[in-house]
Amino acid sequence: MTFRTQFEKELEELKLSLIKMGDIVIKNIHEALKAFLDMNTELADEIIKKDKLVNECEYNIEKECMRIILREQPVARDLRLITSVLKMITDLERIGDHAADISKLTVFMEKTNQPFSAKQIVKMVDVSEEMIKLALESFVNQDQTLALEVIAKDDVVDDLFSEVRNLVADAIRNRNIDADYALYLMMVTKYLERIGDHAVNLAEWVLFSILGYHK
Amino acid sequence: MNADVFTIKNLDLHYGTLQALKDININIEKNKVTALIGPSGCGKSTFLRCLNRMNDLIDVCKINGDVLFHENDVYDRNYDVISLRTKVGMVFQKPNPFPMTVYDNIAYGPRCQGVKNKDKLDKIVENSLKKSAIWEEVKDRLKDSAIGLSGGQQQRLCIARAIAMEPEVILMDEPTSALDPIATLKIEQLITDLKKNYTIIIVTHSMQQAARISDNTAFFLTGELIEYDKTDVIFSNPKHTKTEDYITGRFG
Repeated sequence: MTFRTQFEKELEELKLSLIKMGDIVIKNIHEALKAFLDMNTELADEIIKKDKLVNECEYNIEKECMRIILREQPVARDLRLITSVLKMITDLERIGDHAADISKLTVFMEKTNQPFSAKQIVKMVDVSEEMIKLALESFVNQDQTLALEVIAKDDVVDDLFSEVRNLVADAIRNRNIDADYALYLMMVTKYLERIGDHAVNLAEWVLFSILGYHK
Repeated sequence: MNADVFTIKNLDLHYGTLQALKDININIEKNKVTALIGPSGCGKSTFLRCLNRMNDLIDVCKINGDVLFHENDVYDRNYDVISLRTKVGMVFQKPNPFPMTVYDNIAYGPRCQGVKNKDKLDKIVENSLKKSAIWEEVKDRLKDSAIGLSGGQQQRLCIARAIAMEPEVILMDEPTSALDPIATLKIEQLITDLKKNYTIIIVTHSMQQAARISDNTAFFLTGELIEYDKTDVIFSNPKHTKTEDYITGRFG
């Protein structure tokens, strides 16, 4: 039995806003990599502009959290949930920044006729996107097992990072890669690796909201 | 040295056929503020009143179990109730100054204890009022009736009256529920200051108050002690669903 139906509605809406922000961020990193690989500066420009949307989401969710804290004075699981949202939007916003960072590299990258193909980088984006999606799903359903799965998946991203690094190093040694492109590619790969780390942070805040302690 | 002032073991309390407290086990730490929370009728005030045997005044009240004050059972037939109530003072929900002067309110207890010396009484009155953070407000009105003080001042006067007996423990039964927010904050600040020298046990319906001022919190429900822990734990990560439901307002 509950006497706080309005409050519960507000918490559900907060979760929905977080999912919405997550969807925009996932779309942005997906398209940022596509624009980089296709050397599509138009698409990259679009993503840089779309990052404003992510920032707006962060601002609005933050404002809503403050309003709920002020008016509802949440405690226990409610307080943990709102604290987690406040922390998670920071990580989502950073992921959004990395999508914009990749797009900026795409815009400024000198075009080469011979882009170096590394399939691992596509896989990195796939796994990172999956991690963000699952982290948000684990938050909405307060699913501890799923959150732990997200954390475990970071090893896959880290391994892929090493693979790309080795491939690029070999290519440099064998003079099979354009020097500038090699640098850009490694920077993009590093951003993707960082995105995996932020997804881990998301999952850790999910665990905090469920368990009441942070690693 | 035992840091517990009270040790309560297997405490049952019946009002006639109604069981108001069921198998309560709890230790009250020295120089801490312990908050008792729970819905109306959960037994928290009844429990508080067990600690200085205020329930003795109720005929149909039957108590089983141990209430140990410094390891001595206060319900032992030889226990001196007067000395218990000297050591364990009480402040009530509604400020209840005696219909006499500010000075006499404070001097009343010591006089009953046989203190006659004027200088000594003056000192007790001044010290008690100072410790209760009301001296500056009433030092020029000591001969005025206490009834003329504001609600918040009256409540601090009542705390001073308890302090005049040099208690170890002060029991407070919703001491701020009849006060405005400013007077409430003054009492809360006072409670925080007082815990250096006294052990305070407070019944409150304000969860925010419990969270603000207490070190430990006990949650009572239908006569049972559901959970007792550090206040930070109770309000951030309680172990029991019933506690969580109550403090988050999911429970009627």
